[in-house]
Amino acid sequence: MPKITLGTESIVGSLTPSNQKSYKLTNKIRDGETPVYSLVFNFLDSRFFSVFVSACGNRINVYNCLEDGGIAPLQSYADEDKEESFYTVSWACGVKGNPFVVAGGEKGIIRVIDVGNEKIHKSLVGHGNSVNEIRTNVTKPQLVLSASKDESVRLWNVETGICILIFAGTGGHRNKVMSVDFQPNDEHRFISCGMDKTIKIWSMKEFWTYVEDSFTWKDDDPSKFPTKFVQFPVHTASVHTNFVDCNRWFGDFILSKSVENEILLWEPIVKENSPGEGTSEVILRYPIPNCNIWFIKFSCDFFLNYLSIGNQEGKIYVWDLKSFPPVLVTVLSHEQSNSVIRQTAMSTDGTTILAACEDGTIRRWDAIAEEKADTVEAQRPPLLHQYSRRKGKAKQK
Amino acid sequence: MASGASPSSSATRSDPHKDTTTSQAEKRAPGSKEVAAVIDSLKKKLAADRCISIKKRIDENKKNLRGVTQSFMRSCVERGGGSSYKDGSDLLVKMQRDSPGTKSGSDADKSNNHSSFLEDGNNVSSTSTAVQGSSVPVKISFRPIKMPDVKRLSPYTTWVFLDRNQRMTEDQSVVGRRRIYYDQTGGEALICSDSEEEAIDEEDEKRGFVEPEDFIIRMTLDQLGLSDSVLEELANFLSRNSSEIKARYEVLMKEKEVSESGDNQAASSLLNKDMDGALDSFDNLFCRRCLVFDCRLHGCSQDLIFPAEKPAPWTPPVDENLTCGANCYKTLLKSNRIPVNGTIEDKTGTSSNGAGTKTTSKFSGKLNRKKSKTFPSESASSNEKCTPETSDSENGVQQDTNPEKVSSSSKVKASGGRGGRKRNNNRVAERVSRRTQKRQKKSEASDTDSIATGSRSASDVKLKDNEDATSSSQKHVKSGSSKNSRKNDTPVEDSKNSVKSDDPVSQLNAVASEPCSDGSLRKDEFVGENVCPGGLSEDKSWKPLEKSLFQKGVEIFGMNSCMIARNLLCGLKSCWEVFQYMTCSENKASFFGCDALNPDGSSKFDINGNMTNNQVRRRSRFLRRRGKVRRLKYTWKSAAYHSIRKKSTDKKDQPCRQFNPCNCKTACGKECTCLLNGTCCEKYCGCPKSCKNRFRGCHCAKSQCRSRQCPCFAADRECDPDVCRNCWVIGGDGTLGVPSQRGDNYECRNMKLLLKQQQRVLLGISDVSGWGAFLKNSVSKHEYLGEYTGELISHKEADKRGKIYDRENSSFLFNLNDQFVLDAYRKGDKLKFANHSPEPNCYAKVIMVAGDHRVGIFAKERILAGEELFYDYRYEPDRAPAWARKPEASGSKKDENVTPSVGRPKKVA
Repeated sequence: MPKITLGTESIVGSLTPSNQKSYKLTNKIRDGETPVYSLVFNFLDSRFFSVFVSACGNRINVYNCLEDGGIAPLQSYADEDKEESFYTVSWACGVKGNPFVVAGGEKGIIRVIDVGNEKIHKSLVGHGNSVNEIRTNVTKPQLVLSASKDESVRLWNVETGICILIFAGTGGHRNKVMSVDFQPNDEHRFISCGMDKTIKIWSMKEFWTYVEDSFTWKDDDPSKFPTKFVQFPVHTASVHTNFVDCNRWFGDFILSKSVENEILLWEPIVKENSPGEGTSEVILRYPIPNCNIWFIKFSCDFFLNYLSIGNQEGKIYVWDLKSFPPVLVTVLSHEQSNSVIRQTAMSTDGTTILAACEDGTIRRWDAIAEEKADTVEAQRPPLLHQYSRRKGKAKQK
Repeated sequence: MASGASPSSSATRSDPHKDTTTSQAEKRAPGSKEVAAVIDSLKKKLAADRCISIKKRIDENKKNLRGVTQSFMRSCVERGGGSSYKDGSDLLVKMQRDSPGTKSGSDADKSNNHSSFLEDGNNVSSTSTAVQGSSVPVKISFRPIKMPDVKRLSPYTTWVFLDRNQRMTEDQSVVGRRRIYYDQTGGEALICSDSEEEAIDEEDEKRGFVEPEDFIIRMTLDQLGLSDSVLEELANFLSRNSSEIKARYEVLMKEKEVSESGDNQAASSLLNKDMDGALDSFDNLFCRRCLVFDCRLHGCSQDLIFPAEKPAPWTPPVDENLTCGANCYKTLLKSNRIPVNGTIEDKTGTSSNGAGTKTTSKFSGKLNRKKSKTFPSESASSNEKCTPETSDSENGVQQDTNPEKVSSSSKVKASGGRGGRKRNNNRVAERVSRRTQKRQKKSEASDTDSIATGSRSASDVKLKDNEDATSSSQKHVKSGSSKNSRKNDTPVEDSKNSVKSDDPVSQLNAVASEPCSDGSLRKDEFVGENVCPGGLSEDKSWKPLEKSLFQKGVEIFGMNSCMIARNLLCGLKSCWEVFQYMTCSENKASFFGCDALNPDGSSKFDINGNMTNNQVRRRSRFLRRRGKVRRLKYTWKSAAYHSIRKKSTDKKDQPCRQFNPCNCKTACGKECTCLLNGTCCEKYCGCPKSCKNRFRGCHCAKSQCRSRQCPCFAADRECDPDVCRNCWVIGGDGTLGVPSQRGDNYECRNMKLLLKQQQRVLLGISDVSGWGAFLKNSVSKHEYLGEYTGELISHKEADKRGKIYDRENSSFLFNLNDQFVLDAYRKGDKLKFANHSPEPNCYAKVIMVAGDHRVGIFAKERILAGEELFYDYRYEPDRAPAWARKPEASGSKKDENVTPSVGRPKKVA
């Protein structure tokens, strides 16, 4: 019997840009010789809203985005081991509010860098394989989650270096975990997704005492902390039919991207009393052409007004998340920008978009003031179909 | 989806009323075009509603989001403002302040001006390019801060420690269709759950029809009326068949009525449910082999094995004068001076007279004093069974009413006489009971009218009553129920009842007035005059759950009202009430237990269902014994012997066979699943202990079961204290009244897996490659080191997983037996990290422990503390990777080194 989708259809966004806002390429820096996999603005501390950090090979670089379009390097850190290749970075904070950068990659060792004092704060060892994403809890920025190829998600306290919880096992992921994200309005919950095509919602509620204990842990040896396994997620959603490599909370909804050329906005309907019996309803679809290789991640601005994502042709799609039906704000493209964009970063107000490119460069796009918008947009469309060469599913990890 | 579609449906829910009235007034047969148009418009409406609902939800979400992000922003500002004041030495702030000097852009030189960034040839230099104007990158170089190297861990997949094997996870997530509620703290399943049957039904319906479909069905049919053409159109549109839709529509209308009439049936108390649900989840969730709920090894919904030999009900030392409390029947009996006991015996005596006494005499010898009270009733019923030809009308009634009544009173008992066997195998209660009921209905057609009504299912009976009942019977019903409404639990009535019961017809009546309330109506009808108020009243005051608990109590404690009241009905019923109920139900049993021949005395007094269960079991044995048993005795012995020996000798080249307990009720015959499967019968089988296929255990004493002289050891089994004669362990220090250890100290040494007497194993970086397992303390030869635990998966599953693991060059599969493969990839213990070596210091052995195959790792030689453990994975010859076939070549390492092979490398013991 064919599946009836009456009344549960999702609404697909149109790929015609509204051009309500437009951006121009203002800067480009070479971050390194190897692909830039990750870059992220500081959303934790208002002093550093213009500061971003990038991961490129075995280097972690901290930059300042200047108002005039410039990018000023501030700090650089290099792993002594040349084999290390960082895949992800995130900002965090010490208990005193001092800024931390947390990075992980190929080796599976998570580096906590105290960028306020330019030194390594901790090196977190535990993952059995590479770390694909690290995300920080906004309300308690000492807590970070790491998603790893070892099929687990771990919750760490970067201040004390404790691995508090491990999310894996019976109900856990059955393949590499690609992405995690804390639920913004419920500090106990987070989502994870991976190459087992599922997205899982986890709850730490029952284990929250361990989280609290991790702050007051006095023992010098963090490995003595009674790390707990969480084996059962609250909800497992199969809204995608292929690898899911990026997911973010959007209020009570979830934005997730699979290698199927689209981002889905969907609502998990979780039954509180019977975990595992919930359903998921896809509400909106944001098509992203030429985006079917994995490890391409999207990002949003601080207020979750816009979403930006690069594709394998070097274009960036900016979607308006607040509009209904979905509106494609603009497509950013440039004749020199033709390598895969692994991740984008939007500044707090969404006026600056940074792109982490596979060719080792970081490109900066700035929003153009409203009145100029029309003229710039007019020149753009011809560029769109210029770079149509397809790269195969390229991923080397 | 529910929330998405609900606004639309709730908005339109009120509309149908109007539409129904109009369409009913017109009563036309609409054409297919019209139908299509209606459906189409409804579809559009649905789509529009969907858009609106999405928009609403998005707006709502937006609102929430704004609040959240704003609070985040506030905390960011606080963090920024606060810490900059108290910590002015933040380097990042300083750099940021200075950074305008290094700003890139068209000014290409500024990076060189900045003193803090020095060229470092060894490191990759950062380059900053201003794109504006030119695409030539401008270099800014600075020395990165070095992060000291941290050695990476050897790769592994996160795994969960298992101290015992688990069956594959899919099984555990599906617990039949039942919802389990987990105890937050203990992780144990709570057996009480809210009315599951109904909830499940509803859910099934929902799964079939999503809300929008319901909406379309309802609206279309309301608008156009219920006609075949409309149904067909709808069926086309929804790609279902029209009867389905019609049925659904009826359901929907009913639902509407219900919702309008309000939730009257809500909030029925726990006590009104019978024990069926609880028992059912008990049967499904409690593992009778591991004695835990939600067993991960044997899974849920196992076949229920009922032992052929039932333990006698537990009887505490009886002290005639000891009362269990103020309400003890002994006290009250004395004070009331009512010869309840006597009357019972009278009555039962008479009943047995009526039906002949052959069997009675046969069994009476076995019965002790206590049983004598209950015995006659049994014999009476057995007589009826033995002499079915003589069955007069009374007998017929009994046989018909019994199963029906039973099924209505409690589903557990529902099997009745005919369904008993099936029921016994597997308590899938409803299906069987329904079947019995149906069959009964058929059979009743030939019966007289009164009998027919008697055997009808409860709801039918009510209807029938209304139609058929004569005025007199109606009256009786009334009088009965009015009496019932009075407080009529008094012993006087009870005795009256029993006195009356001299007359067979009145007894019949008493029978009918047993548990189910509908039953009382029914019997009123066919035996008009003799209403039994006592039974009726009891009926009402005893809730179904209490009745079921009582019946269980009888099974456990026998006819001991003190024990039953104290242990099972504490706070619900007093001893006296239990006693009364017991005596009353005895009356009934004399008629109802028509099948209840119970010669073993295994359960002295089972009511209805239990009795019939026993009976069926017994009877089948009886038949067989008459026929083949003798011949079988010999053949089985040799067969069993053979299979045991086969296992102990041929096991090297043949995988062990998975044991599943058989449900034989007699000594195992040809159809015994164990025999067919080539395994021995174990203590978990249903067959009696005398079964020739049973593994008998050992009689070793001084040898401590450490050599092949021990039959257990030789058969690769661990000794079992339940089975072996002399195998025991020192338990306790004697303070608990347990006899202190025997002087000889010949403790069985073949129970180490069972007792988890394992060595401490450490996980470390292997000297060879990857991870390795190390021993903490030195051990001697043949010492048990630990168990190789993991997920139990089927061979099919293992083949699939093996392919995946081959790709990752890491496999933890271990062939366990003909049915299962152990997979320690995600779940296991540290011994999974022990590496392969052609010259190992350990060996693995599949051992049967309490019916389960488990893998023990043993020391092949003396191993010193801190040594790494290796064992030979014994790859199957055809599947061994190249290096394993020529061990000298590659030294030792397991799967990490495996070149992807065609098959899957599996360890075998």
